[in-house]
Amino acid sequence: MSQVLAIENLSLSIAGARVVDGVSLSVAAGEVMAIVGESGCGKSLTAAAVMRLLPPAVRQEAGSIRLAGVDIARLRESEVRGLRGRRMSMIFQEPQAALDPLSTVGTHIAQSLRQPLHRVRAEVLRMLDEVGISDPARRIDQHPFELSGGMCQRVMIASALIGRPELLLADEPTTALDVTIQAQILDLLRKLARERGTAIVLITHDMGVVADIADRVAVMYAGRIAETGPVDALFAAPRHPYTALLLASIPRLTDVPKSVLAVIPGRVPGAAEFGPGCRFAGRCPLTEPRCEAEPPPLAPIGDGRATACWRWEQMV
Amino acid sequence: MNVLSLRDLRVHFPGAGNPVRAVDGVSFDIVAGETLGLVGESGCGKSTLANAVVGLVAPTGGSVLVRGEEIVGADRTQLRAMRAHVQMVFQDPVTSLNPRMRVGDAVGEPLLVRGIARGQDLRRRVGELLEEVGLRPEHAMRFPHQFSGGQRQRVVIARALALRPELLVCDEPVSALDVSVRAQILNLLVALQARLGMASLFVSHDLAVVRHVCDRVAVMYLGQLAELAPSHALYSTPRHPYTQALLSAVPEPDPVAQRSRARVMLTGEIPSPANPPPGCRFHTRCPIAQAICRSDIPVWREVGESQVACHFA
Ligand SMILES: Nc1ncnc2c1ncn2[C@@H]1O[C@H](COP(=O)(O)OP(=O)(O)O)[C@@H](O)[C@H]1O
Ligand SMILES: Nc1ncnc2c1ncn2[C@@H]1O[C@H](COP(=O)(O)OP(=O)(O)O)[C@@H](O)[C@H]1O
Ligand code: SF4
Ligand SMILES: [Mg+2]
Ligand SMILES: [Mg+2]
Repeated sequence: MSQVLAIENLSLSIAGARVVDGVSLSVAAGEVMAIVGESGCGKSLTAAAVMRLLPPAVRQEAGSIRLAGVDIARLRESEVRGLRGRRMSMIFQEPQAALDPLSTVGTHIAQSLRQPLHRVRAEVLRMLDEVGISDPARRIDQHPFELSGGMCQRVMIASALIGRPELLLADEPTTALDVTIQAQILDLLRKLARERGTAIVLITHDMGVVADIADRVAVMYAGRIAETGPVDALFAAPRHPYTALLLASIPRLTDVPKSVLAVIPGRVPGAAEFGPGCRFAGRCPLTEPRCEAEPPPLAPIGDGRATACWRWEQMV
Repeated sequence: MNVLSLRDLRVHFPGAGNPVRAVDGVSFDIVAGETLGLVGESGCGKSTLANAVVGLVAPTGGSVLVRGEEIVGADRTQLRAMRAHVQMVFQDPVTSLNPRMRVGDAVGEPLLVRGIARGQDLRRRVGELLEEVGLRPEHAMRFPHQFSGGQRQRVVIARALALRPELLVCDEPVSALDVSVRAQILNLLVALQARLGMASLFVSHDLAVVRHVCDRVAVMYLGQLAELAPSHALYSTPRHPYTQALLSAVPEPDPVAQRSRARVMLTGEIPSPANPPPGCRFHTRCPIAQAICRSDIPVWREVGESQVACHFA
């Protein structure tokens, strides 16, 4: 499979601290790659680096980001602008905030094509229909405040996809939505990957969302990938202590009620507290002296899986 | 004994046109020691109901009995007496704490204000409360910003426990927390319920969380209850099509199980609580609606272990 996006060894720093450290991941056409992790672990910055929309405080220290083979970091700003919306698009958690309150749905979507609405009206209507907006002929002239959160997210997806990009980055696209609406949006994204072959990077903190939609997943912790692999294998038998604890700490519909959930003691270290070794060492049940001293590399362990843990074989 | 009884509780807000019927005729009881979950999509009226129970919003009608005493229409003195028995924990531990107040003072405030403890005795009680929620007595000297989100929620819980309430109302208490911290707080809440034997009204949009901590669960839709059942019955045999749809939309963190699950997809948008549909309020989105659903309001009746408002449950 040819990779639409290939990130290699990406490192981003803020005031000298590596908030994203050596991240590598790829996604192929038609594939859904999830990035999952707790808040502050570097998911959004990784996506922003791909779009070349990093906040000014953030520096790319190392690594390459290739979109169909071309390193985005080396392109001129004008060239990157040409890619956004056409080759790669991004959608966010708060669709209402991302939409201009004063423009209509149609004008907003037409902007991604850099065309006035009257010239592309038919195309916009088709797109609204494709993302499951009922009565597109009426909706196209409405404003964001007239739409529900779920509909705004569909509008954002329509405007992200109308330029037929190969890559869609979706940063917590359903976090602000009810589960009933989330299920519809995830179905829509799944359909886009299957039918259009769009490569999707889906960022979430919800393991349920990962299980529902992803083909592969990268679990991030404190700026690094802890573990990555195909979802079925990773959920069935995690090979990083963080993944295992995270999965065990989620309340499930199948739990014994009021049972004690697994907890990860302590909290995620801030960038100022990163030590030289494994960033999970302070909270890990398997930690040994080497973990504090040397960072474990993200090493392949077969079947398309990789883990960054010195002691993963203890988990087999 | 019923710690809380709601009868036909209504909270309407004046709107541009019709009033917003945020809570529109809800009745249920919570007995001593019991945890009742309240679930439903955003905007269905959960927070408004919780706020009415603790006296933060004035009901438009109906009755709220706390330990048998009516608080609808109660005067300030009566409300103040009631508040000693009913405490609330909100979603956001950041805005629930005064940033300029040491957490020890925040936790001890209810005891001091009511003249229950002061001086050395107050400091000791505060230390015990902090330990009860998994913090240390010396944390009393710190300010909220010196704590993580999970620790702040512990402080909020400690303060809510100060007066040993008989009812703890929690509105989305873990929704703002990360997964690993959420588990710590849920374990704490379950342990406290068992140890202190207090009753809880636990409001959440997260059905897995509710199932984890609640004895019974009420499902709310557009200001009314769709179903009320013991937790085990609600999750194993949901009777109302809305409950079925909600449950089937919760993605399970198990990819193999998730792929093989039957889905009840809801179409359409949630109607406005200012203009609820006639008949069954759910009929505009219901996958099994018939003509009668569009005209007749379903009666609240028992089906198996559930109470449910559906013509076809
Ligand atoms: N604009 C910014 N300025 C300074 N620090 C930032 C900025 N954006 C993110 N960070 C920091 O970078 C780290 C990673 O952030 P982010 O990628 O947003 O995490 P996530 O999306 O996983 O929650 C966090 O510690 C965050 O505080
Ligand atoms: N103070 C208020 N004034 C007017 N409308 C309100 C007010 N508070 C809540 N509402 C409306 O009441 C309905 C129920 O809201 P809420 O109780 O917050 O729902 P939930 O907590 O289930 O999300 C919503 O339509 C909301 O917009
Ligand atoms: S490398 Fe060590 S500290 Fe890090 S996860 Fe593995 S065992 Fe735990
Ligand atoms: Mg983010
Ligand atoms: Mg609410």
